[in-house]
Amino acid sequence: MKKIFSTFVGFASVALAQAQNRFPKPDFESGYQYPDLEYAVPDETLWNVLDVTMLVALLVAATWAVMKKRKPMIWISLVSVLYFGFLREGCVCSVGSIQNVALAFVDGSYQMPWNVLAFFLLPIVFAFLFGRVFCAGVCPMGALQELVNVKNGRISKPVAMVLGLLPWLYLILTILYAVTRSRFLVCEFDPFIGIFRLGGDVELLVFGILLLIISVFTGRPFCRFLCPYGALLSLFSAVSWKKVEITKKKCINCDLCHNSCPVDAIRPPYANTDKEERREGVKRLLGYMLLMPLLMILGALLMRMSAEGLSRAHKDVRLYDMVVAYEALDAPETIPLEVEGFYMRNGTLDELTVVKDSIVAEYRTYGTWAGALMGMVLAIALIRFSVKRRRETYEIDNAACVACGRCFEYCPQNREIGKSDIEK
Amino acid sequence: MKDDKKITSPLKRREFLRMCGTAIAGGSVIAAGSTLALKSKGAKGNVFWQIDPAKCTQCGRCETHCVLPVSAVKCIHANRVCGYCDLCGGYYISNVKDLNTAAENMMCPTGAITRQFVEDPYFEYTINEDLCNGCGKCVKGCSSFGNGSLYLQIKQDICVQCNECKIAQVCVSDAIQRVDFATAYKLKE
Ligand code: SF4
Ligand code: SF4
Ligand code: SF4
Ligand code: SF4
Ligand code: SF4
Repeated sequence: MKKIFSTFVGFASVALAQAQNRFPKPDFESGYQYPDLEYAVPDETLWNVLDVTMLVALLVAATWAVMKKRKPMIWISLVSVLYFGFLREGCVCSVGSIQNVALAFVDGSYQMPWNVLAFFLLPIVFAFLFGRVFCAGVCPMGALQELVNVKNGRISKPVAMVLGLLPWLYLILTILYAVTRSRFLVCEFDPFIGIFRLGGDVELLVFGILLLIISVFTGRPFCRFLCPYGALLSLFSAVSWKKVEITKKKCINCDLCHNSCPVDAIRPPYANTDKEERREGVKRLLGYMLLMPLLMILGALLMRMSAEGLSRAHKDVRLYDMVVAYEALDAPETIPLEVEGFYMRNGTLDELTVVKDSIVAEYRTYGTWAGALMGMVLAIALIRFSVKRRRETYEIDNAACVACGRCFEYCPQNREIGKSDIEK
Repeated sequence: MKDDKKITSPLKRREFLRMCGTAIAGGSVIAAGSTLALKSKGAKGNVFWQIDPAKCTQCGRCETHCVLPVSAVKCIHANRVCGYCDLCGGYYISNVKDLNTAAENMMCPTGAITRQFVEDPYFEYTINEDLCNGCGKCVKGCSSFGNGSLYLQIKQDICVQCNECKIAQVCVSDAIQRVDFATAYKLKE
């Protein structure tokens, strides 16, 4: 694929000094010429421009669809899955760009490509202006789940709430691993990349297919219970300038839209008349407010204490373990590849210990912050769960809403605009 | 009247909180955006991954850990470094008995190396990139017994430029690093 589409620029390289010279350079007498070998580097500029153009175009299209209550979303999803998914093979993606951004913040030598920056920022800007229109159909992973979705099976509220914490934990852990330069968690465990690339890690392929099977019966399991970027976007869509609304007219409380939402983001009217319960609720809310700093401190402490364990995600810390274990053996029979490589580059345990200690120290600092954030996420979830708001009509929870627009066509108020308008 | 107030006050508060949230979110978008834009200023196009042949110890993981079905890592031959030896450490298995091209004498498991007689006693070696799987066996042979003219590189026209190279994660020699366009290959010439 790449060979066909990329323009190539020949020969960009550094030449290295030569180390070994066991045999002298031959003296050819027959006029032998060295073959000319050139190694091509693909020039991806064109692709990058095309990618970002596609992103903007699809975002604008999705915004238009949401605002005008039209439904070309399925086409947007299809284009996204085909282009970003199968043609571009799922890279670069906004979800993964979180890690590049985190890395760019801590590592001065890492220069983030501009297209990655665009993939990180544009969906956020759009989410802040119009809601999660990126998730609606521009994100190939969301679009793929959307396309296979048939039924909107409901998950019970408490279970959904607990599972809904996972994206936040995933987000915090992803950033922690990225800023400590340990690993790119999202890329490593991307369940859909194997599907887009038509092959790859068997476990991940199975995981991806499993997720797709689940998405047939309940909307977007990955988006709701795993995606760290969706969590980030929900922060902005919750307070966005324009909100996704089921209808521009007045809701007549017909309940028709309620079950159309694949991510269960539509909240039914709620009277909140039960004074007794309300007082209880307020009390509980206050309790949780007090609990927040406690949870944050607890989280920070726990993560700080597990810094040693967490730092095993870093290759050099794992190497340190292996070398220590290896050197503790009296008569080692086999030497692990890693340890062999370590000795071959003349590494010493002392040097490695210094490296390892500095990594663990980093984990301790960043881990403390991460733990505090985790505590905060938990406290906010509890607060949200206990706040009982009065609602007169069916309303969209804009943090959870992925702007897919499915509820629009169920609302009879929208239908009154004129059938021809909807069916366009 | 009293009832009315009870109904409107929480709504007002909610409105106010929402406005605060909008302001915070908007502010952070602008702040993060401009910081990042400053950070990525001067970045030129894509990031590539490349093997530093001076560090690589031919552990064999380049063959097995690339995300592609057949690794993007290939053996590259620096003719100007090569000794054109008859008894090539990359071509023949070590302590080879007969110098003939029977398969059991060949180092390369995929038959990717061919050689051509140039003049006595020199042979030119060529790698067939389509057959090579980046196992590095020939490289090991050549660096141990020869001039080290065979070495592994990530072929940038095959590599899909993963956000994080899977092989870099497991490379035992820390030989794979991010490089920029100008240093996309580290060639021995
Ligand atoms: S929640 Fe995540 S995976 Fe789902 S559509 Fe949004 S960004 Fe994509
Ligand atoms: S647009 Fe409607 S159906 Fe779609 S996620 Fe939002 S509330 Fe649910
Ligand atoms: S993984 Fe590293 S050491 Fe092993 S063959 Fe590849 S570059 Fe060389
Ligand atoms: S021995 Fe391995 S690295 Fe060398 S040419 Fe054959 S397949 Fe490629
Ligand atoms: S970046 Fe990806 S495709 Fe390229 S060599 Fe590494 S694992 Fe293979």
